[in-house]
Amino acid sequence: MKKLILFGFVLLSFSVKAQDDLLNMLGEDDEPMYISYLFKGTKVVNGQSVELPAKGVLQFTIQHRFGTLNSGFYNLYGLDNSQVRLGFDYGIKDYLAVGIGRSSTTKTVDANAKIRLKRQCKGSKTFPCSVVFNSAVFIKQWQYADAQLESFLLTNQMSFANQLLIARKINRDFTIQLSPTMVHYNLVERKDEPNDKFSLGIGGRRKITKRLSVNAEYFYQLTDKVNNNVLSFGFDIETGGHVFQLHLSNSPAMIAPAFITKTTGNWLEGDIYFGFNISRVFTLSK
Amino acid sequence: MMVRQIISIFLLLFCFTANAQQFLAKNGTITFFSDAPMEDIAAENKKVSAVFDAATNNLAFQLKITDFKFSDPLMEEHFNENYLESDLFPKSTFIGKVIQNKNGKATVEGELTIHGKTNKIKVEGLLKQENKKVNISAEFVVKLVDYDIDIPTIVMYKIAEEIEVKVNIELKEVK
Repeated sequence: MKKLILFGFVLLSFSVKAQDDLLNMLGEDDEPMYISYLFKGTKVVNGQSVELPAKGVLQFTIQHRFGTLNSGFYNLYGLDNSQVRLGFDYGIKDYLAVGIGRSSTTKTVDANAKIRLKRQCKGSKTFPCSVVFNSAVFIKQWQYADAQLESFLLTNQMSFANQLLIARKINRDFTIQLSPTMVHYNLVERKDEPNDKFSLGIGGRRKITKRLSVNAEYFYQLTDKVNNNVLSFGFDIETGGHVFQLHLSNSPAMIAPAFITKTTGNWLEGDIYFGFNISRVFTLSK
Repeated sequence: MMVRQIISIFLLLFCFTANAQQFLAKNGTITFFSDAPMEDIAAENKKVSAVFDAATNNLAFQLKITDFKFSDPLMEEHFNENYLESDLFPKSTFIGKVIQNKNGKATVEGELTIHGKTNKIKVEGLLKQENKKVNISAEFVVKLVDYDIDIPTIVMYKIAEEIEVKVNIELKEVK
């Protein structure tokens, strides 16, 4: 009798365990789990985010910035006054992207390269944050007559921005980013003005729903602060192939040398610029 | 006492022999396809693992959601972020049993887990054992609503409510 019970018990345990064992046989894979999609777009608001366009993807962005909200009904609260930046970004590799753009008001052409150095991951390999290096050059356009002047120097038209972007997705809805930035101006306005200006950017994203997020960004100027620090808020709305971003900022500029050190607007006085971006991605190669 | 121990050891050994005819795969293929008015949505996962026990007819599959590769990276992002939520539900599994097999035409019944939701399914397909290999192929339809995958109303491309899944796996005997 005892033998029968034992026999039955062994059989039972075998049949119960068999299916679980089957899955266990497949085992846990030891690949690290990379954390993706820290931000919806390649920019937090105006500053670069740790996101790059995927390899083989061309992203076309149309950026609009209007005048200040306190400019009155005569200017339709700023809407009469608009400037635009057109930009293309392309993912060469998964870790490398390049971009070009042009801003209308300042007539500046910019080009940048972003290289991902580290990805946030967990599992068999862990790293707490994603790290991206961004380097950009800005060239102010000139007219033929300007170039005839003896004092004209091509290098005077140029400025540069180098930044390290360090971001961590704290949970599935919340990402925070630190962006230590150095902007170099070949031409400065004052004699005692340094050419290199350092700043620390801090930004973040909070997802409200699956397709809507609120972003915020602040650049704190560490050297030679003459103008205001820039504070911007953005709302990212995703509609399939497009990302639609609405912005409020105390700077109308869309390029780093302008919005980091040359922001004159003051939030408390109502110098708030409304703007929006529309970006569309095209998959060029697989 | 002694006799019982001997018997139990014998039974344990018996279990191992029953386990012996097992087949394993680490890189099977599962693809899915859905017809949508704007864009067809298709993806392929080539890292599906599977195990089949010929003695018990038990069958199991497992895959990582992030291993599904799309031709459009944006579609892949939406698939992971909005639909399958691969950060919350990184894996999909099937645990079941072959309940009938007539000359390779097999019927499999079991529990399919996608997006953290489990449903009983019954699938007809091919399961052929040749030498030291087992080939499994099947096609079936998954309804998104069964797995709590919500379809948004405001998207540029409409998502079909049903997707066609194709399974193609060659398993090798475990030694």
